[in-house]
Amino acid sequence: MAGALVRLRAARWSRPALALVVAVLLVLLPLVSSPYVNYQVTTMAVFAVALLGLNVVMGYAGQVSLGQSAFIGIGAYVAGYGTTHGWPLLLTFLLCCLLPGVVGMLVALAAARLRGLALAMVTIALPIVGTPVAKRLSDVTGGSQGLTVSWLDPPSWVALADDQWRYYVVVAIAAVVFLLTRNLVRGRVGRSFAIVRDNEAVALSMGISPYRTKVLAFTLASTIGGASGFLYLAVVQYTSPETLSFGTSINLVVAMVIGGSGSIAGAVLGAVYYVLVPVLAGQLDASRTALLSGAFLLLVLFVLPGGLVSLPRRVQQLLTRRRRRSATPSDDPGDRTGTPVLTSDGRTP
Amino acid sequence: MTDDASPGTGVPALQVVDVTLRFGGIRVLDGVSFEVAPRTVFGLVGPNGAGKTSLFNCISGHYHPGSGSILVDGVETRSTPAWRMARLGLARTFQHPALQLGETVLENVLLGAHSLLPGGPVSWSLRLPRTRTAERAARAEALELLERTGLRWAADTRAGELSHGLHKGVELCRALMSHPRLLLLDEPAAGLSHGEVDRFVETVATVRADLGLTIVVVEHHMGLISAITDRVMVLDHGAKLMEGTAAQAQVDPRVVEAYLGREVAEDEPA
Ligand SMILES: Nc1ncnc2c1ncn2[C@@H]1O[C@H](COP(=O)(O)OP(=O)(O)O)[C@@H](O)[C@H]1O
Ligand SMILES: [Mg+2]
Repeated sequence: MAGALVRLRAARWSRPALALVVAVLLVLLPLVSSPYVNYQVTTMAVFAVALLGLNVVMGYAGQVSLGQSAFIGIGAYVAGYGTTHGWPLLLTFLLCCLLPGVVGMLVALAAARLRGLALAMVTIALPIVGTPVAKRLSDVTGGSQGLTVSWLDPPSWVALADDQWRYYVVVAIAAVVFLLTRNLVRGRVGRSFAIVRDNEAVALSMGISPYRTKVLAFTLASTIGGASGFLYLAVVQYTSPETLSFGTSINLVVAMVIGGSGSIAGAVLGAVYYVLVPVLAGQLDASRTALLSGAFLLLVLFVLPGGLVSLPRRVQQLLTRRRRRSATPSDDPGDRTGTPVLTSDGRTP
Repeated sequence: MTDDASPGTGVPALQVVDVTLRFGGIRVLDGVSFEVAPRTVFGLVGPNGAGKTSLFNCISGHYHPGSGSILVDGVETRSTPAWRMARLGLARTFQHPALQLGETVLENVLLGAHSLLPGGPVSWSLRLPRTRTAERAARAEALELLERTGLRWAADTRAGELSHGLHKGVELCRALMSHPRLLLLDEPAAGLSHGEVDRFVETVATVRADLGLTIVVVEHHMGLISAITDRVMVLDHGAKLMEGTAAQAQVDPRVVEAYLGREVAEDEPA
C-alpha cells in the first residue's frame, strides 16, 4: 500500500522532471555535438512535427490519411518561394501553415463523408497528383531538379554556426507545435477526436458531428504538415517532388505506427526511427537498407503492437508476470487478464 | 387516457406522432404515437425485437423514420441532425454500453460535457483561461455525478477494467453531464445485480427530482418499471399494444400474451 503510494507520487513528479531533463539536454546538445549530429537531430524534429500532424488525423481521430507528404511538400515549396522572393520569415512561416491547411480542408470537406478504403484512396490522390504538378510548375518548384535555397543563416548578433542556429530555430518551432497540439488532444477537442474514432453513434448523441470533427482533424494535420515543410526546407535547404511523393507518405505512416499512434511521445519516437534506421541500416550494409528497415518494422510490430512508446509498459507487464509466476501461485487470484478485475462492491478482487 | 399524467406546462416534453420506420421490407415501427409529460418517467416495454431501441434511435436522430413526426419540447426534430439533438436537451444511453474502454472512467464521463464546454480548437490548444475554468468545473461535476452513482472510487480506473453493471452507471453519468431535459435510457438495469438495481432506482429518483428531468426508459425488469415509471407503453412487433400505468400493463391480457407470460411472470414486483 505504502509502496503503491510512493509509486503514485513518483509517477506524478516523473513526467515534469523528465520533460525538464529532456529540455535541458535539447538546449545543450548542439553546443557540444558535431554538425552532423546536429543535422540529424534537427531532421528528427522536422519529421516529429510531420508525424505529429499525421497522428492528429490518424492516431487521434482515427481517419486514414495517406497524403501527409503532400502537405510537407507544399509547405516546403511555399517556404522556398518565400525565401527566394525575400518575404519576411514570419509571413513565410504563416503561409506555409495556411496554404496546406486550406488544401487539406478543401479535400476533407469533399472526402470526410467517406470511410475506410474510399477515404484512403482520396488521400492518396494528393501525392499522386502533386508529384507531376510539382514537376510541371518548374518556375516555382524548380521542376524535377528541385529547389535549392540558402537561407536561415545565423544573424550577425549570435555566435552560432549554421547547424546550431537552424537546430535552435527548428527545435523551438517544433516545441511550440508540440505544446499546442498536446493541449488540443487533451481537452474538449481531443475527446471529440477520440469518440469519432471509437464510436460515431455515441459521438452523435454527445452533440459531436463526426463530419465536422474529421474535417477539423484533416485541416489540423495538413496545417501541421505544412509547418514541417517549412522546417524541412530550413534544415535540408533543398526540396524536390520526391518530398511530396506517395512513398514519403507511406514511410510516414510506417514511422507513426512504429513510434506509437495516438501518442505525442510516439510522434517523437517515430521520427527518431524515420531518421535513424536508414542511417544505421546503411552503415551495417548499404546495399540492404530497405531489407533491414523492413525487418525492424516487422520486429517492432510483433513485439510491440502499440509502438515504441509502449515499450516501458510492455517491460513492466513482462516483469510483473515473471514476479507473479515466481511467487506462490496457490492462493493467487489467478491471471485475470481479459476479465473484469473490479466489481461493484469492491475495489480489488 | 394519455394526457395529464402529472402537472405539465402544457407542452409535452416528447411527442411521437404516427412514426413508421422500415428497413427494406420489414416494418420495424408501425404508426407509433405517444406523449410524455414534462418531469415524468415513461416506461417503454415489449418483447425483444419489438422495436424499442429503434424507437429510441428515431427520437435521438440516429434513424430517420419514413413518416410521422417527433417533437421535443414542442419542436419538430425531423430535419435536426442527430448531433444537434444534444442542444435540444436530449441525452441517451445505449443498450450495449458504448464506453471508451481504454480511457479512464472520468474521461468517459467528461465526454458528456462536450456540448456545454466553450471554445474551439484555437482556445483549447492555447489553454485560454475560460477553457481551463470550464474544464475544471466539468471535472468537479463529473466527480460529483460519479459520487452520486457510487462510482467515485473508479474515476481514475480504465473503463475496460470495470464490470458490465458498472458500465451502465458510467453511461448514465456521461448522459447526465450534458444537463439534459429529456433522457432516454435503453435497458439501464440489464445485467445488474439486485443491489445495483436498487441503487439505480434510488439514483433515478433523486436525479429526476434534483434536475427536473423527463425520462423515457426501456426495461424488461418489471419491478424496476413499477418502481420508477408514471406511465408505460407496451410495444409489440413495432406497434403500440397499450398505454397506461405499469400496474395496468402487467394485468393486460394482450401484454401477457405478447410476452408469452414469460418475463412478466418472472419479474413480478415484490
Ligand atoms: N439498422 C437496422 N437494420 C435492419 N434492421 C434493424 C435495424 N435496427 C433494428 N432492426 C430490426 O428492427 C427490429 C426491432 O429491433 P430493436 O429496435 O432493436 O428491438 P428491441 O429494442 O425492442 O429489442 C428487429 O427485428 C431488428 O432486426
Ligand atoms: Mg433494444
